[in-house]
This record gives sequence, C-alpha cells and structure tokens, in this order.
Amino acid sequence: MSKVKTGSYTSEAVRGFDHRTAMEEAARCLLCHDAPCSEGCPAGTDPGKFIRSIRFRNPKGAAETIRENNVLGGVCARVCPYDRLCEEACSRTGIDRPIEIGKLQRYAVEQEKAFRMKVLKAPRGRKNQGAVACVGAGPASLALAAELAKAGYRVTIFEKEKKAGGVLTYGITPARLPQYVVDQDIAAVKGLGVEFEFGTEIGKKITAQDLIEQKGYDAVFIGAGLWQGRSAGVPGEDLKGVLTAVDFLKEARTKGGYAAMKDKTVVVVGGGDVAMDCATTAKLSGAAKVAIWYRRSVEEAPASMDEIRYAHDLGITITTEFAPKAFTGKGKKVEYAEFTGRDKKSSATAACDFVVLAIGQTAEDMSKITGASLSGKGCIAVRKGGKTNLPGIFAAGDIANGGKTVVEAVAEGKEAAASIITYLKKKAVKPAKKAVK
Amino acid sequence: MAIKKDLSIDYLGVKCENPFFLSSSPVGGNYDMVAKAYEAGWAGVFFKTVGIFVADECSPRFDNTNKEGLPWLGFKNMEQISDKPTELNFEFMYRLKRDYPEKILVSTIMGSSDAEWAALAKMSEQAGADLIEGNFSCPQMTSHAMGSDVGSNPKLVKQYTKAVVKATKIPFIAKMTPNITSMEVPARAAIEGGAAGVSAINTVKSITNIDLDNMTAMPVVNGKSSISGYSGAAIRPIALRFVAQLFQDPTVKDVEISGIGGIETWRDALEFLLLGCRNLQVTTAIMQYGYRIVEDMANGLAHWMDERGYDRLDDFIGIALPNIIPAEELDRSFKVLPAFDTKKCIGCGRCYVSCYDGAHQAIDWDAKKRRPVLNDECVGCHLCLNVCPVKDCITPGEIKWKKRAKKVSPVVQVNYD
Ligand SMILES: Cc1cc2nc3c(=O)[nH]c(=O)nc-3n(C[C@H](O)[C@H](O)[C@H](O)COP(=O)(O)OP(=O)(O)OC[C@H]3O[C@@H](n4cnc5c(N)ncnc54)[C@H](O)[C@@H]3O)c2cc1C
Ligand SMILES: Cc1cc2nc3c(=O)[nH]c(=O)nc-3n(C[C@H](O)[C@H](O)[C@H](O)COP(=O)(O)O)c2cc1C
Ligand code: SF4
Ligand code: SF4
Ligand code: SF4
Repeated sequence: MSKVKTGSYTSEAVRGFDHRTAMEEAARCLLCHDAPCSEGCPAGTDPGKFIRSIRFRNPKGAAETIRENNVLGGVCARVCPYDRLCEEACSRTGIDRPIEIGKLQRYAVEQEKAFRMKVLKAPRGRKNQGAVACVGAGPASLALAAELAKAGYRVTIFEKEKKAGGVLTYGITPARLPQYVVDQDIAAVKGLGVEFEFGTEIGKKITAQDLIEQKGYDAVFIGAGLWQGRSAGVPGEDLKGVLTAVDFLKEARTKGGYAAMKDKTVVVVGGGDVAMDCATTAKLSGAAKVAIWYRRSVEEAPASMDEIRYAHDLGITITTEFAPKAFTGKGKKVEYAEFTGRDKKSSATAACDFVVLAIGQTAEDMSKITGASLSGKGCIAVRKGGKTNLPGIFAAGDIANGGKTVVEAVAEGKEAAASIITYLKKKAVKPAKKAVK
Repeated sequence: MAIKKDLSIDYLGVKCENPFFLSSSPVGGNYDMVAKAYEAGWAGVFFKTVGIFVADECSPRFDNTNKEGLPWLGFKNMEQISDKPTELNFEFMYRLKRDYPEKILVSTIMGSSDAEWAALAKMSEQAGADLIEGNFSCPQMTSHAMGSDVGSNPKLVKQYTKAVVKATKIPFIAKMTPNITSMEVPARAAIEGGAAGVSAINTVKSITNIDLDNMTAMPVVNGKSSISGYSGAAIRPIALRFVAQLFQDPTVKDVEISGIGGIETWRDALEFLLLGCRNLQVTTAIMQYGYRIVEDMANGLAHWMDERGYDRLDDFIGIALPNIIPAEELDRSFKVLPAFDTKKCIGCGRCYVSCYDGAHQAIDWDAKKRRPVLNDECVGCHLCLNVCPVKDCITPGEIKWKKRAKKVSPVVQVNYD
C-alpha cells in the first residue's frame, strides 16, 4: 500500500458528513449567543443559525438559511478559507478545535438536493421594477443577480464562455469543487428567473454603456474577474509546454483533465491556492512527477495549509525560496526550468516536460468594456457598494478588489445589489421602459 | 501491575468474587454465553427468565433513543421470557454450575400459578442454583397472570413468593417493576411472603419513538408496535430513586437489595453500592458493548477504593443513603453565587442565554468582551453552571446569607465532571 493518495481528476478530496456524523459535529457546537462564527462570514451566511437547525434535527431549515443568505452556499462550503473566517472566529477553539463549519454547510446543501428543495422563488408580479445587465457569470455576478431577482428586478447575465460559474467552472479543480456543486448553486440563481446569454463577450461588439443606451438596461454590473495570466518576465516563457495557470486549468476543466501530461514531469511555479490546484490537477491527470517551486517560504505562502497538505498527500513536492531564472530547451519545447535561490548563493535546474506559471492573474483590458476609471493594476476603481465613477455602472469581485476569494466576491456582489437598488429607486425607474433585448 | 483490590462480597449468604452479575435477559441465555461472561470476570448470572410458558417472540424487537448523535441513551425491548424449552434452560444451568462451581448461578423464574412457581423453584434447586429470583416485573407479557401486572399487585406477589418459599430453602429474591408509584408496597408484600431480598428495577414501560412512515411506535412489527420496556443509561436515575426509597422503608431496609438499571461504568455501579446495594446487575450495556465492560468496572472501582483508602466493599456500602433527605429538611438559609473564571471563559454566551430565558436575568452580557457579568438578581440556582461548556469555568463562589440565617459554612459540591 502506498502512503500517497491516488485518484482520478474528478475524485473528491474530502468526504462529507452523513446524518449521524453531521449530528455529532453539530453536537460539539456551543450554540453561541451572538455567534462569532456568523460574524466571521463576509457573505452573512449565518453558520450560527444553520448549525443550530442541524442540531435540532432540522436540516431543511439549515438549507434554507444558507440558500437565502448566500446563493453560492454550496460552493462556499467547499472552497472557503474557513480557517481565516468563520472557523477562526469559533468559540469552541477555546476548548479544543473549531466546529467543522464548512463540512456542516456542505451537509446542509446536500440535504437541499436530496429533498429536492427549491428555497428561492422570485416574487410574483414584480418583474418590472427595472432591468440590470451583468458582465460575466462568476460568483460576484451570480450573487448580485440573485439579490436583484429576489427584489423583483429583471437580470440578464452576459458571459463570454459557454457555461456559468467563472473560476468555479473554469478554474478550481473538481477534486475540491465538483461541477455538480457549482451547478446546484447556479440552478438556484436560474430558478429565480435570471437570464443568461452565453458566448457574448462584452467589449467586443457592445460596451457596458451600449447596454444602457441602446439595449435599455437601467444599470450594468461588471464582474469580469481576472483572466490574464501574469508572466514571470524571464527568458523562455514562449517555449512550447510553458503554460499560464488560467489557460491550463480552463483546458483541464473543459476536457476532464490534461491528458498530454500523462507520465510527464511537470514543474509548477507559485505558492498560492492556484499553484496547488495546478499541481494537483497535473498529478491527478496522470503526470509522473509534479514539483512545486516557490520563491518564498511555506510560512509566507498564501495557499491554505489544507491545500498544501492535500498536495503533499498526493506525493507532490514543494521546494521553497527558489525563483525562476529561465526556461530552456534545444528546440521549441521546454526541457529545463532554471532557478536561483533567495539566498543568492543556491541555484537549481529541473528537467521537465511542462511548466505551469501560477504566479497570479491580472485584469484583461477593461477599457474595452467600460470608460469607468481604472485603478493602478488595471482593475475597475470602485467606492463602497461597487459604485464606479460613471452613473449606472457598478463593479465588484476580483475585477474590483484585485483578486480575493469567492465569499468576498459574493459579499461584494450582495452589497452592489443593494446599492443598485438604491440607485434605481432614486432614479425612479419606470417599469419596462423599452422591451429589453 | 494492574491494581488488585478485594471486591468480594457476601450476598444473601453466598460468597461472590465481586458484585457484578448479568441480569436476567438474553445476555445470560444459554451455556456458552454465560461461560464466556464468567471468563470475562462476571461473578455470576441471573439466568434469562424461565417459565413453563415458552415465549414466541416478535421480530424485530429492539429500538433505541438518541440525542445529538449519541445513540443508546435508552434502549427498548419487546422481549418476553426465555423462548427455549424449560428443560433445556435448566440443563444449561446445571452444566454451568457443574463446570463453574465458584461462580454464582441465580435462576430467574416466572410462573402463572402457585403450582407453576413451585415447580420452577424445585427445578432450579435440582439444577444447582445458588439463589432464585422471581420475575414479577416483565412489562411485555401477554397474560395478566404474569409479568409487571403481577408485580404491581401486592396480593399476588405475596402469594407467589409463598409458593416458592414453601417449595425450596434457597433464598428467594423478588424482582420489582418500576411501573408503579410506591415500590415499597409490593416489596413489603414479598418480604411478608418470605422473600430474602428484592432486586430493582426491571424495565420502564415506554414508547421510544414514533415511526413517521408507518405511524406507529418503534420497532415496527408488520405495521404495528407495543408499549414495552425501556432500559439502559436513561433509566439509571429512576432506578437509583427506587432503590433509595426501598432502603428508606422501615421494613424493606433490612433485606438485601440487588441494584439494576443503566449500569455501564464503575461509577454507575458505585452509586448503587453507596445507596446500600450488595449486588449489581447489568443487561443493556452488555448488549451494546459486550461482556468485556466488566474489566473496567472492576478495575475502575478498585482504583477509586485505592484513592479513598478502602479495602473492602463493606467499608462504604450504603454511606450515601443517610444524606438523601426529604426536600422539606434541606437547609434553605443561604445561596451560593456562581463564580466566573473569565480566563477560562470562551465567550459562548450560553450562561447569559439560559439565565435570561430560564432563570432570573442575573447575567448581563458584555458584548464587546464577550463575557458574562453577574448582577444582583442572582438566586444561586446554578443553571449557568450546568450549561457552561468549559470545565471549571463557572464554579460555586460567594455564599450569601438570607436574613436571620445562622452563618455556618455550608458544604458545597467541589467536583464537576
Ligand atoms: C485556480 C483558482 C483557485 C482558486 N481557489 C479559491 C478557493 O479555494 N477559495 C476561494 O474562495 N477563492 C478561490 N479562488 C479565487 C476565486 O475563484 C475568485 O475570487 C472568484 O471566482 C471571483 O469571482 P468573480 O465573479 O469576481 O470572477 P470570476 O470567477 O473570474 O468570473 C468572471 C466571469 O466573467 C467572465 N467574463 C470576463 N470578461 C468578460 C467579458 N468581457 N464579457 C463577458 N464575460 C466576461 C469570465 O468568463 C468569467 O466567467 C481561486 C481562483 C483561482 C483562479
Ligand atoms: C432485551 C431484554 C430482555 C430482558 N428480559 C428479561 C427477562 O427475561 N427477565 C427479567 O427479569 N428481566 C429482563 N430484562 C430486564 C433486565 O434484566 C434489567 O432489569 C433491565 O434491562 C434494566 O437493566 P439495564 O439497564 O442494565 O439493562 C430484559 C431486558 C432487556 C433489554
Ligand atoms: S462560534 Fe463555533 S461554537 Fe459558537 S455557534 Fe459558531 S460554530 Fe458553534
Ligand atoms: S445561578 Fe441562576 S440566577 Fe444566578 S447567574 Fe446562574 S443562572 Fe442566573
Ligand atoms: S457559558 Fe461559560 S464559557 Fe460560555 S460565556 Fe458563560 S462563563 Fe463563558
């Protein structure tokens, strides 16, 4: 028996709770007054309340709380960095260890599915309050759209890809976030009557301003995310076999793995969750050897300890304090990755068939989409509530905050929805000015 | 080396290596089971109740209650007495006594007439039983002439006891039902009839759960179910109460009592001993965990005796009984305020919620520091202490005297598990 975990590209990294184990965990919860865990959730999912529901044998009530507060509750249950959020705030830590809030949330969301619950329903007869267009179908837009639809607004999401979800569908590995989990959450948004237009890239033929001026939308929300892979700025990045994380993950996610890596040697450069995802994707796609190279120390790595541990469990190595110097190869294909040590004395060369650069994402050219002011990094500059400098144009999520987490994108999406509602009420939008579309 | 202590005890004139016995139930239902239990360390067995009547059991016949994922809080059974032929049961008993002469064999019997009781007693004697127990207490018998209907009828208890005592010289133990207000009444009747001891308790009539698919109780037997006996940890407090009341009765207190009901650990066992029991019986915990639990019962008890400097069980049997007094005699001249250890406190706020919603609004909540602050409304009920999840965070603190009270220092609880 190997001590290293094995699996296929889609095998799930963590096993969930069943009724009994969920109950055991919920019984550990202290049912705090003014629960600190709930305070710790940026999106207001309210774990203190849904755990209490589980504890009192009411998993359906738990599912309702989650879905009403956080339309991406199923996704968040899988990918949130709880150790920095709700679980960090958990009172139980003072006794032994925090409640496994994420896993309980996953359990409740699974009950929603098992019972075929439809928690969210659009209000009847209030569909004509105003129409809002969203750019991109990532977490920020989805959360915003759900809030607006619940309040009776018409929402259309324009997405350049074929499917909704953004990074959830085209980035994070299915081992951590299976597609059916994403789909369950998106179904809740669709169930509210939110419309999707896939294969439409805003900024190509039509801008955000056009959506208002020509298409009759009352406001536009931009949740375009960060889709430009950052380059390392070293020689050899154009060699065949050197990939950016976004391209690599998207390809794997669309094709169910990255078959070309089978039995190959892969070097991943980076130290965040994205690097871990790239490494585990490569390994689960059948790569013979996967090694992560990171320029700083494990302590400094932004990846969560759980993700680092999961990579370790799969037999992936992490070499720290080495930064890439050059990628070389005799022909057009990469053959070696060369590194220099942080100490300026060490150096290393690793033979490889592929290099994946997971050193960050930046914004694509937003000026094509909107004339709103941009921040230094090419992100859209926003004030509280996702307001840009242009009336009727709002933005949130990675494209506004520079790249954070799903739950923060949800939180900001919810806030932007509230400020759009205020904006539209002030503007006293007349119902159905023009036929939308 | 594991600790060694003398756990032996004299029970109804019979020398037992320790007080731990199997109670009458499937855990002591045939030769092989009892032999295995003996080897695990049990001192004796109350063999599964034998009658002239042979039971025809239903299936399924068990259910359990749980709380917050903790199963077997209590256990329900719909079993009757032995479903094996009468002769076979006595043959098991005979062979057990022959092969394990040092172990104690108690024959538990149930008849439906004087003649049946007498015949069963005779057969027990022939099989070599050291003691005989009369089952007056099974709540799921199908005839009013047997089971707990008999146990709640003092006349029948006395009559059947007499029938046994006339038939044999072996000491007779009457097993009591808790499905009655005053157990002392049938216990006295048994003693009048000549019983040497009583055992308590048998199972408590119950409905553990309603099955929401079949709209009947659990377990479901072809769409139906019955009220039947509840046992295990959940009934221990009820058993202790009955046992204490038996010992407080001027007549019953002079006979030896075997304690039964929810014993799982050495501590549970000790509690029955401290009330005065000289013998202890167990079923449910064995059904859940097996005979091996006796190892920790014996060893744990020995360690406790070692800590307290006791050498034999007789040194402490019954010592808690005098301290259990009627509610009207309790000292009501003071209150013990709770003391909060703010360093241990983890800020869960449970004391605040419970004191407000279930006590006297005596705790103010410091929302910023997330700490409880006691105000003047406290009555010293200790609800807060009971809900606090942190060990030794809330403890008994300052004593407040009522007006005109004599200020003698009261004895308070010091140890909270
Ligand atoms: C590999 C990886 C792993 C991650 N792991 C985690 C994790 O474990 N936990 C966590 O909380 N966060 C994680 N993150 C971060 C998280 O995914 C993001 O913070 C989050 O997805 C941001 O949501 P968003 O809606 O702002 O953008 P995105 O998810 O990027 O969605 C933007 C959408 O807009 C579409 N779009 C872009 N431009 C246009 C256009 N012009 N017209 C139409 N559509 C357009 C895109 O196709 C995309 O669908 C990870 C990110 C990556 C890349
Ligand atoms: C399945 C089962 C069958 C039982 N059968 C008998 C029996 O035949 N005769 C009897 O006197 N008591 C019987 N009892 C009662 C037990 O002997 C005992 O009095 C009761 O279960 C309480 O003890 P416990 O909590 O240790 O189980 C039975 C109990 C159970 C659980
Ligand atoms: S903080 Fe922890 S213990 Fe308290 S309610 Fe939340 S999950 Fe439960
Ligand atoms: S002892 Fe009772 S009244 Fe006093 S603080 Fe505790 S719960 Fe409240
Ligand atoms: S119940 Fe205990 S731990 Fe919780 S706030 Fe009160 S004193 Fe602190």
